[in-house]
Formats: sequence, C-alpha cells, structure tokens
Amino acid sequence: MKPIHFLSFFFIFLQILYAKNPIPSPTFDDILKEIIKNDSYIFDNENVKIKVPNFADNPVQVPIFVNAKNIKNAKRMILFADLNPTAEIIDMDLKNILPLVSLNIKVAQETPIRALVLDENNVWHIGSKNIKSFGGGCSVASVTSSNTDFEKLLGKIKTEFFKVEENIYRIKSSIFHPMETGLIFGNPEFYINKIEIKQGKNIFSSMNVFSSVSENPRFIFELKNRVDNLNIEFIDNDGNNYKADIK
Amino acid sequence: MKYLISCLLIFSYIKAFDYKLTPIKLNENSYYFYGKEEYFSKQNGGNIVNCSFIITQNSVIVIDTGSSLLYAKQMKKQIEQITNKPIKYIINTHHHPDHFLGNDAFFQSDIFASLFTKTEIEQNGDLYITNLVNLIQESMKDTKIKVPNQILSTQVLDLDGYKLKILYFDGHTKSDVAIYDENTKILYASDLVFNKRTPSTPHANIENWLNALDELEKIPYTTIVSGHGVATNSKKPIIETRNYLKFVEKTLASSAKEGLDIYEILNKPIPKEFEDFTMFKEEFERTIINTYPSYEKDLK
Repeated sequence: MKPIHFLSFFFIFLQILYAKNPIPSPTFDDILKEIIKNDSYIFDNENVKIKVPNFADNPVQVPIFVNAKNIKNAKRMILFADLNPTAEIIDMDLKNILPLVSLNIKVAQETPIRALVLDENNVWHIGSKNIKSFGGGCSVASVTSSNTDFEKLLGKIKTEFFKVEENIYRIKSSIFHPMETGLIFGNPEFYINKIEIKQGKNIFSSMNVFSSVSENPRFIFELKNRVDNLNIEFIDNDGNNYKADIK
Repeated sequence: MKYLISCLLIFSYIKAFDYKLTPIKLNENSYYFYGKEEYFSKQNGGNIVNCSFIITQNSVIVIDTGSSLLYAKQMKKQIEQITNKPIKYIINTHHHPDHFLGNDAFFQSDIFASLFTKTEIEQNGDLYITNLVNLIQESMKDTKIKVPNQILSTQVLDLDGYKLKILYFDGHTKSDVAIYDENTKILYASDLVFNKRTPSTPHANIENWLNALDELEKIPYTTIVSGHGVATNSKKPIIETRNYLKFVEKTLASSAKEGLDIYEILNKPIPKEFEDFTMFKEEFERTIINTYPSYEKDLK
C-alpha cells in the first residue's frame, strides 16, 4: 500500500471517529466554547429530540419542543440558536425537573437550534435541528408593549399543574411580558431573565432566560416526581418580581 | 449554432412563467380556473386558488383574481379567447393574497369587496406582496396593490342587469363573502368551503366559521365552487369542512386540558375521514400552531 493511500484511509477513519456536527454553522464552535468551556461533548440527535415547525411562518413566535428524557439523571439543559443576535434561549438546572421544555422563540433568520444536555458523567449531549424561516423576529417591537392595558396586565401569570399520564406531572405557565430584546432604537431591553420554581422558601428549580424567548412567554416543564404546593416566580431585568401559586 | 443556442437560452430566461390556465366549464356561461392543491411555491407560481368568471349579457364578472399580476393577465387572456365582452366587474371574496393580488390586471374594472376586506388590502397588502415575493419569486414581477374601489353592502348585486346574491359571513377571515348565482344555481363559497383540501386557518374564528357553514348548507345550489379543491355537484364539501373544523376544535380543547405540547398533538394519529385530504400535514400543523395558544389561554 502506498503511503498516500494509507494517509487518506487514516483521515477518513478520523472523520468517522469524530461524529460530525449535523448542521454546521459559522458561529457554533464559538458559542459552544463559551457555554461549556472545555467539557467533553457528543452530537446526539437520537436522545435529544428537538421539534420545530416545517416552516416558521411567524418569526416572532416559533414553537420549540425539546425532549431528552432518554438521558437519565441529566443535570443541566441549555438551548441556543446559532444565528440569533442573542444566541442563548434558556439555561435550566435539572435537579428536580426533567430535560423537557416547551417554549416559543424569536428568530432573526433561518438558524440551527441546539439543546445541550449534561449527563451524570459530565458529558454534554447536543441535539440539533434547523429552523427554516424568512426571519426578522428579533428586530421588531413587541405587540404587547403597545397594548393599552399594558400597566394593568404586565406580569399577569397563568399557571396550571397537569397530570398528563401516570407518573407524568407537568407545569404549564405563562406571563404577560413584552420580552423586548433592546435591538430596536427606542425600545430598551426589558425581559424575564430568571424563573424560580419554589417549594415554600426552598428553590425547587431555577433557570436563566434570555430575550430570544417570545413575548408573553409560555413554558412547559416536567417534574421528576409529584410535588404539590409549588409556586413560580418570574424576575425581569428591571428587578420586577412576579409570583403565583401553581395549582 | 452557438449564437442560436445562446439566443434560445436568453429567450427562455426572459419568457414569463406560464400558468397553463384552462377555464373549466360549470354551465353555459360560467367557468372556473382550478388552482393546484399545494402551498405557494416557485414551481406553481402561486397558482393555488380557484378563480371564476361569469359571462353575462353585456359583460364579464370575475370572482377573485389570483396571487400575482402575471396570473391575472393570463387569466384575462383565457377569458378573452372565450368572449369579447368587456370584463367590467371584479369581486374579491376576502383579504387573503391568493384572492386579490391579481386585481391590477383589471384596473379599469369596478372592483368590489366588503369594507373590511378593502381596508385590510389597503393597510396590509404590501406585507402580503413581500411575503409572496419570498415564496414564489419571479412570478410576482410587477404585482402591485390595487385596492377595491366599490364597497359591497347590499344583499343583491345588480351588475349590468345580472343579479347575484351576496352573502356576508365571517370565520375564515373577519369578512368572507360567498356569492350565489340564482340563474345557474352555482354557489361560489370562497374559502369558507374546501373540497378534499385541508382548510387553511391563519385568521380563522372556528365558531363563526361553523355558523357560516350552517347557513351555506341551506342554499339550494346544484354546483359549489370552493376556494380550493375541485368544483362539484355534491353536498359533501360543506359537511367535510365542518367535520374537520369540529375535529380541530375538539382536539385543541382536550389537548389543552391534558397539558400537551403542540408537537404532541401533531403526533396523534390522523382520523380516517381526513386521510384523503390534500395538504393535511402542513395545514394541520399551521392550524395547531396558530390556534392552540388561544386554547391555552384558559389556564387558571
């Protein structure tokens, strides 16, 4: 065998060894590095399933559903969209909740979306999916801000506890909030940046939220075990605090 | 030879998109153009809607004008091959882009629409054009907004002595006009009725839509031209559209109660009766995405 052949085989072998990014993008490596530093990771679309629309007609409300319940004892889940001006979407601590989330996001253009799930061995599992859209969702003012009852409605929370099936317990919660990105002149950023689910005074689960989440956000979280008497707290970047009991 | 080939190449580039329209006869003097049961695409040039025309004693009445100026121009050419009477009257049934963006081809005609439809075209027409330029591209060339210049308000519209019954509903949009031609017993149901083609619902109010279908069912028509899907003598399209809307309503209400996500609803099996609907997957997904939030609002 000529050395050149050996070399080419060797390269192909290397390529297979490193599972490749299923949806390459120019910003992916930088964003990933910033979030997970030097942790090890694998691309795992099998266990981290992301659902997005066939085509996102409405760039300010793109429904996303992530289910990584296959990964047992996951510790943390982070979502980001490669080509959004604010890439990060949500960062969830999974102490008492499962790696499952439903929410709507804005997209500035067609972009891959990623869900990173940290397993018990400290390996990040990365799920990827492409969102097709004409975009433009990050540079428009929220409709909410122009609502005439804005002051009355701001921070109004609706929340409900569901027993979906045997041993599947969910929280669905929405809040009236403009989620301004601050990317348009004259509209300073104003968005929910933290959600805390509490049991009495103890923090049950907490997450960081970013302005790429759609206005009047609505979330679904799934609990590991049935827990009653929870309450939810939304905190925005102006320091406002909105609370409600989960019934 | 090379010269010839390059000439041909350039020629084929310049040549406008051919919609290959052929009017389908419904009756002695009534015809419609069948629109493909597809979503807007470069390949179909936006030819996805049924447009109709009626030849009367002195003139021609056109109902809906398609997605682009080019479409309407080719439609006009086809009409002129059948009759030399002037196309004097246009009716826009509602404000969705596939029904009015061809208006400009008939700029000398009287264009009728309800007040709401007219205002909506005036205010948001350009947004629709931008969106369609993205979707169907070159075929949108030169398409401009031509706002209706006549407001529909009477129950009977007398056009050069030819009388049409105008029925005012809402449900598919905030203002849907259906037209009943008593002379031929043809019902032009616009997008309130879809025939074997999954209804589209971006501005729908399902409850009002169901009421409109109840009223349409009372009309003693012999032929029904739906906004999408083939025209037929059957009574079924109204029933099937109603069944579909009821199915959507029921599915959404029960899913909201169970705490499901949009994609979990979409994973459910499709009922047998809708299996032969065209575009089920894409339209059902759109409907769920657009409509589910209003059901989720009932959270405590």
